Amino acid sequence: MSDEEHHFESKADAGASRTFPQQAGTIRKNGYLVIKGRPCKVVEVSTSKTGKHGHAKCHFVAIDIFNGKKLEDIVPSSHNCDVPHVTRTDYQLIDISEDGFVSLLTDNGSTKDDLRLPTDESLLTQIKDGFAEGKDLVVSVMSSMGEEQICSLKDIGPK
Amino acid sequence: MEGFPGGATDLSQLQSTMEAVEHACSSIQMHVNPGEAEKIILSLRLSPLPYQSCRFILETSQIPNARFQAAGAIGDAAIREWGILTDENKRSLISFCLCYVMEHSGAADAYVQAKVSAVAALLIKRGWLDFAETEKMAIFSEVKQAILGIHGMNAQYTGINFLESLVSEFSPSTSTAMGLPREFHEQCLLSLELNYLKEFYCWAQASALSVTDKIIGCGATVSEDKVCSAALRLMFQILNWNFRQSTNTLGHSINKISASSYGIRHDAVLLKKYERSLVQPGPIWNDVLLSSGHTVWLLNLYATLRQKYSSDVIWIDSPLAVSARQLIVQLCSLTGTIFPADNGEMQIKHLIQILSAVLQWIEPPNVISVAIQSGRNESEMIDGCHALLSLATLTSTVLFDNLLRSIRPFGTIHLLSTLTCEVVKAHTVIRDEEETWASEALDILLEIWSVILGRTDTDKDSVSTEGISAASNLFNVIVESHLKAAAESAFDDDGDADYFHASISKRDERLGSYALIARVAADVTVPFLIKLFSERFALINQRNNTSDPTQTLEELYWLLLITGHVLTDSGEGETMLVPEALQVGFSDILEEAQHPVVVLSWSIIHFARHSLDPEMRRTYFSPRLMEAIIWFLARWVDTYLMPLDATKGQISTPGHEHGHPHGYKLSKKVLLSFAGEHNQGVLVLDTIVRISMMTLNSYPGENELLAVTCQKLFVALVRRRNICVHLVGLDSWLDLARAFANERTLFAITARLQRSLAQTLVCAASGLKDSEASNQYVRDLMGPMTAYLVNISNRNDLKAVAQQADVIYMVCCLLERLRGAAKATQTRTQKAIFEMGSAVMAPLLTLLEIYKNQSAVVYLILKFMVDFVDGQIIFLNAQETSILVSFCLRLLEIYSSQNIGKISLSLSSSLRSEAQAEKYKDLRALLQLLTNICSKDLVDFSSSSDELDSPDIAEVIYVGLHIVTPLISLDLLKYPKLSRDYFALVSHMLEVYPEKVARLNKEAFAHIIGTLDFGIHHQDTDVVEKCLRAVNALASYHYNERNAGKEGLGAQNTDSHGSNGKLQDSILSHFLKLLLQLLLFEDFRMDLAGSAADALLPLLLCEHDLYQRLVQELLEREANPAMKTRLASAFHSLTSSNQLSSSLDRPNRHRFRKNLHGFLTEVSGFMRIK
Repeated sequence: MSDEEHHFESKADAGASRTFPQQAGTIRKNGYLVIKGRPCKVVEVSTSKTGKHGHAKCHFVAIDIFNGKKLEDIVPSSHNCDVPHVTRTDYQLIDISEDGFVSLLTDNGSTKDDLRLPTDESLLTQIKDGFAEGKDLVVSVMSSMGEEQICSLKDIGPK
Repeated sequence: MEGFPGGATDLSQLQSTMEAVEHACSSIQMHVNPGEAEKIILSLRLSPLPYQSCRFILETSQIPNARFQAAGAIGDAAIREWGILTDENKRSLISFCLCYVMEHSGAADAYVQAKVSAVAALLIKRGWLDFAETEKMAIFSEVKQAILGIHGMNAQYTGINFLESLVSEFSPSTSTAMGLPREFHEQCLLSLELNYLKEFYCWAQASALSVTDKIIGCGATVSEDKVCSAALRLMFQILNWNFRQSTNTLGHSINKISASSYGIRHDAVLLKKYERSLVQPGPIWNDVLLSSGHTVWLLNLYATLRQKYSSDVIWIDSPLAVSARQLIVQLCSLTGTIFPADNGEMQIKHLIQILSAVLQWIEPPNVISVAIQSGRNESEMIDGCHALLSLATLTSTVLFDNLLRSIRPFGTIHLLSTLTCEVVKAHTVIRDEEETWASEALDILLEIWSVILGRTDTDKDSVSTEGISAASNLFNVIVESHLKAAAESAFDDDGDADYFHASISKRDERLGSYALIARVAADVTVPFLIKLFSERFALINQRNNTSDPTQTLEELYWLLLITGHVLTDSGEGETMLVPEALQVGFSDILEEAQHPVVVLSWSIIHFARHSLDPEMRRTYFSPRLMEAIIWFLARWVDTYLMPLDATKGQISTPGHEHGHPHGYKLSKKVLLSFAGEHNQGVLVLDTIVRISMMTLNSYPGENELLAVTCQKLFVALVRRRNICVHLVGLDSWLDLARAFANERTLFAITARLQRSLAQTLVCAASGLKDSEASNQYVRDLMGPMTAYLVNISNRNDLKAVAQQADVIYMVCCLLERLRGAAKATQTRTQKAIFEMGSAVMAPLLTLLEIYKNQSAVVYLILKFMVDFVDGQIIFLNAQETSILVSFCLRLLEIYSSQNIGKISLSLSSSLRSEAQAEKYKDLRALLQLLTNICSKDLVDFSSSSDELDSPDIAEVIYVGLHIVTPLISLDLLKYPKLSRDYFALVSHMLEVYPEKVARLNKEAFAHIIGTLDFGIHHQDTDVVEKCLRAVNALASYHYNERNAGKEGLGAQNTDSHGSNGKLQDSILSHFLKLLLQLLLFEDFRMDLAGSAADALLPLLLCEHDLYQRLVQELLEREANPAMKTRLASAFHSLTSSNQLSSSLDRPNRHRFRKNLHGFLTEVSGFMRIK
């Protein structure tokens, strides 16, 4: 026990692994979870037991945060699950190229040009229309486990 | 037929209408173009004077559905056109319907006849107050003839059926809406009850009598059976009537204490659970129901038929048998002034009569149970249980027991016990299906036990020795059957649903009733439980690791549950006392070591201690068993650990002291002190803390177990201060606190449970000797949490690190812990918790920025602030308040900058709706935060009274409202919790800072008014009340300001609310109209009358001219001169009686409340329509 004392001053360091182990029993609805190698958001958790006097198991129903597919998993609740690091970064939209890529301005002043426009219809139209009207648009990009996608849009003031 | 409305119509036209309707009916049945068909039928119903066509259809059509629709159309049209029909028309319509049903009484498609009959009943009721008595007599004499059998069996049946529709048309809950004032319905009801109901009953009785000979003899046909059961059903229906005459007089003629004198109770209000009520028809019914031997006749009839059909297994479920039994059970609930004042003699005789007949249905219980299990219908037995329930409800426990003694050598409780035994056995054997006859019967029987044992005036003496031994026998059977079932089900897979209970609360309810039974015979049942436990503990101790203990574990699980219920009561949030029955149940035991309750408690706690041994734990203490242990300990701690009585002297009912000898007091003292502070208390407390700590560490991921530990057991430990005093001195507790503050292990518990843990740890500070020590204790506990948050928010690489899942998890856990601590704020720890809060203020703002995309973190930050402000604000001085308030303002600003104008994309609809739910939760938290801040101006305990730079709370709220209102939409207000919070805030705001609200910008103000408008029409009375309070505040402010020569709401009042493009009303006049509309025409709840009065008075004063105009309009609209006068005088007294003045002070408001109350009672009878 003693070697664990004063243990939780922040020991996280930048650029660590893509996932983090967390006990299945502590993962709640709306949390993130890796199922079959995909980062997911948990939409339903239920527990059951192996026999009345057995140990608890968690049954997760989760949705892939990038492609929206539904995935399920059953894990003994004292075991660890992989929880993905999910980040969202805001960039200012500079340009939309004709081949469907966007050009984004990063915090340090350089540009980021490797992202495609989103596939979601309503968001796509809003980005295109807003950009055409010359609005200042900020898009937020969700990234996890090496994948990236534009997931929301914010208008930071007309013209 | 003379006077039939509608005049002459030519045949071809009638023919074509009929064909159209017939076509429509058959196409609806075959589902061809139903929309079109419905239109045709509707047009018939709505067409003017459709009577001839309908009559033609009824008389000639071959399609029953068409005839059915035609009958309905007659009813609809006649109610609609009642005003233009002549008296002759009306009479002729009624007699047409009646003749029609009589003529077609034997025809097929009975539903058509039933509809026509219902239409006749409807029309008779519509004309009830207009028709002369002689006309009604004429109609009813025809009906009577039919019922008595002059026109044959079919007509007899039809007549009874007609009366059934009539009675149901006249009872308020089943009557048809006619667009008439309630008074009308009320008058009809009273008149029918007074003049006809008893007569109807007699006719039904006579018609039943006329056929019973044949039924009892042989050669009865189906139609005789039908007549008889219809007649019995009508009698049952009449006895179900909610008698007004008798209830009016009841209060005066019967004194409440009569229950104790001879055993008949008049305070019985139950039976509700099974949708039944007491039958109190009053003295005039005595001759029909009692002195004429009606009951005996009915009982004999049923008994004879039962005998006759004893070989026919389905007869029990035949309509005749069912309606006869229904009537018998209903007669069982007969009570009130129908019985003469003869000390209950007659009623007791009546009850014994019924009981002796009902006995055959339930006796001997084992034979009946076997019969039912092998396929016999259970309805008779269930009805028998219902009858027993009625008996139990109407009699005292002693009388209930004695009822049977005149017929049998034993008492009713003995019979009840054997019956329950059989049902329990059957119930635990069949456990595959959810709703079995056994579970239905068991529920009723347990209800009876609760009735006879759960009364406040029952004590040990009211149950005979025989009854006590019957109860202990029953408890034996209950325990054995359940243990058997438990052992058998031990290997079942546990898919959340447990075996013999649909839900936990249902299970607890049953266990609670079992416990009542056990406590009656505590001196036998508690030792019995001790024996069962020790047998199983021995089994576990002997076991070598080879055999599977699962069955024993499951038995122990059940035993722990039932023992918990026997030894303790379950009262959420109340101070638990040792159950009275246990206090008085062991008067001969004076030695602590021999007291069964003590022995039982120690043996369970001793067993629980074994769980601390890792080897034992792994083999025997499964998560499920541990759950039961922790649950038991939580209840036990609440009741027996250092009980308050032991230190303060005894609280007990004085009556008992005389009756019981010295031994009673001593044994009671043993019970209250064996786990007291000066006895084993501290030792047990230490053990329990160790066990619970072990649970937290050794059962990772077993969330249910951890939840019981954190939310039940720990809460019980810190509930009372005298326990906390010892708790904070224990090494084990300090170990727990240290682990919480400094070690990682407890982070493995769900974040939400860490919140409860923090809360209990902080609560325990109440046991420390002074405020200094308490604050230090909290600082030591929470210091590391704040340090971590400060540390992380200051990191240079925060942006990169913060998004890592482990860091997010950590932050969430810490925020939950802070929340728990904030929730536990007490006067003595307030200082340390404020320090904790102020230390994290800056970090929280940083985190709010960083985590703007992590909705879970944002929500936790908001919720922490809600709880923090709630706990702190009343204590803070001006300077602290200003720190807090400016922080909240920053928080609101950042939140709104992140959330306004944001469009989120989600790939799946379920993720999108999740995001919406998160928004909704945030919004609620914001509203709660604003409301909590508001409360500073109402309750203020802070010591300093310098008003120098006291921050303007109103300013925060003002800004806050501007931020929050755009986020609230009318759609969101449909969520009950959100709308309650929102309207709480708005009404509060308007009451406290009307001047700020008046200064809001136009959109925000209009938005608030719009939501008020919405809220007044809300279903939730709580919300309506808050809106009324808000309107009151708004109008009062305006009135007072204007009287003081200022502009009040000024510009806000005159315009706005013109979004509908119509003539722009001032806001106050809009609300005045709205409120009048609500009060006069809509289903206004009387319990809101007070708040409505408060809102109406200032509105009246502000908009006096409009009010006069509205009243004038209302009066002009009223056509009926009598009503007009009544309405006018009601309005007059509303504003002028009780010396109402034009001020808004308290006495005047009070007077107006009184006036409005009178006004509503006067007016609602004829203004509200059904």
